[in-house]
Amino acid sequence: MNEFDDKPSSGDEQLESQLRDALRAVAPSEAFSEALLARLASERTRRTGRYSGWWLPASLAAAVLVAVGAVEHLKAAHEREMGLEARREVIEALRVTNQKLDLAYQAVRTQSTSLSEGDPGA
Amino acid sequence: MTIGKSLLLVGLLALAPVLVLSAPDPRLVLPEFTALSQKATESVVITLDPSLLSMAGRFLDGGDPKDAATLEVIKGLKGIYVRSYTFDQDAAYSQADLDAVRNQLSAPGWSRLVQTRSKKTHADVDIYIMVVDKSAVGLALIASEPREFTIVNIIGSIDLDKLRKLQGQFGVPKLDLDAAPSAAAGKTK
Repeated sequence: MNEFDDKPSSGDEQLESQLRDALRAVAPSEAFSEALLARLASERTRRTGRYSGWWLPASLAAAVLVAVGAVEHLKAAHEREMGLEARREVIEALRVTNQKLDLAYQAVRTQSTSLSEGDPGA
Repeated sequence: MTIGKSLLLVGLLALAPVLVLSAPDPRLVLPEFTALSQKATESVVITLDPSLLSMAGRFLDGGDPKDAATLEVIKGLKGIYVRSYTFDQDAAYSQADLDAVRNQLSAPGWSRLVQTRSKKTHADVDIYIMVVDKSAVGLALIASEPREFTIVNIIGSIDLDKLRKLQGQFGVPKLDLDAAPSAAAGKTK
């Protein structure tokens, strides 16, 4: 109990009575209930159709596409790296081979020159 | 088919793997040179099998003259193997280190094309070639200098003229080699 209950005034009692009348529980009309339930049912159906129908497969497909794309990109980058390395090695191998062939040609040439110089009749 | 012909056919089929195996192989077994590679100041170890050569070919630009010449050289090749070591002092390796390779070149099929010995520079170069059905299927080169040795083994149809056309590229100086073939021919075994 509080102080208002201890000393109720006639004005307060009237206000209280009016409030009780205004806030009393009133059962909704049948039409309102039906409309509300119908709206809820339609909302649920719409949500289900909007999300659970396609978003999961679509997300999976997108993830697979991204993964495949990433793997292909890495593979292409690796192949390019290997190809450029092979190209470099081919050029280096031919450079070394040519260098040594030159060594042989030079030696042969020097020898043939000295032979022709030593043989005036040639 | 008579019994005699059948037996002949069976005999030939049985001999086929032996005949294939006895065909000369231009691929040399190159030693690892592990100890020498640790002593070397510079080393070049290149192993290019057919798949790597093919891959390299895809990264050579046919529109570029240098790349086009390189493409032309490697077109008929099945492998390039290079082992080259440079040392900072004389006698860092012995001829015995090269004997394992030289011994393989005494096998049937190999012929020495050029052998040069320079007393001035102490550079020795031996070039061997393997010819099957009048076409070169393998080349081996052993170059030894006091502080350096190089072994090259090329497998496939090699055109030395095309290889010579690469002179002046890759930093190799261009030489006037028109006089060389007759002299080189004199050295051919």
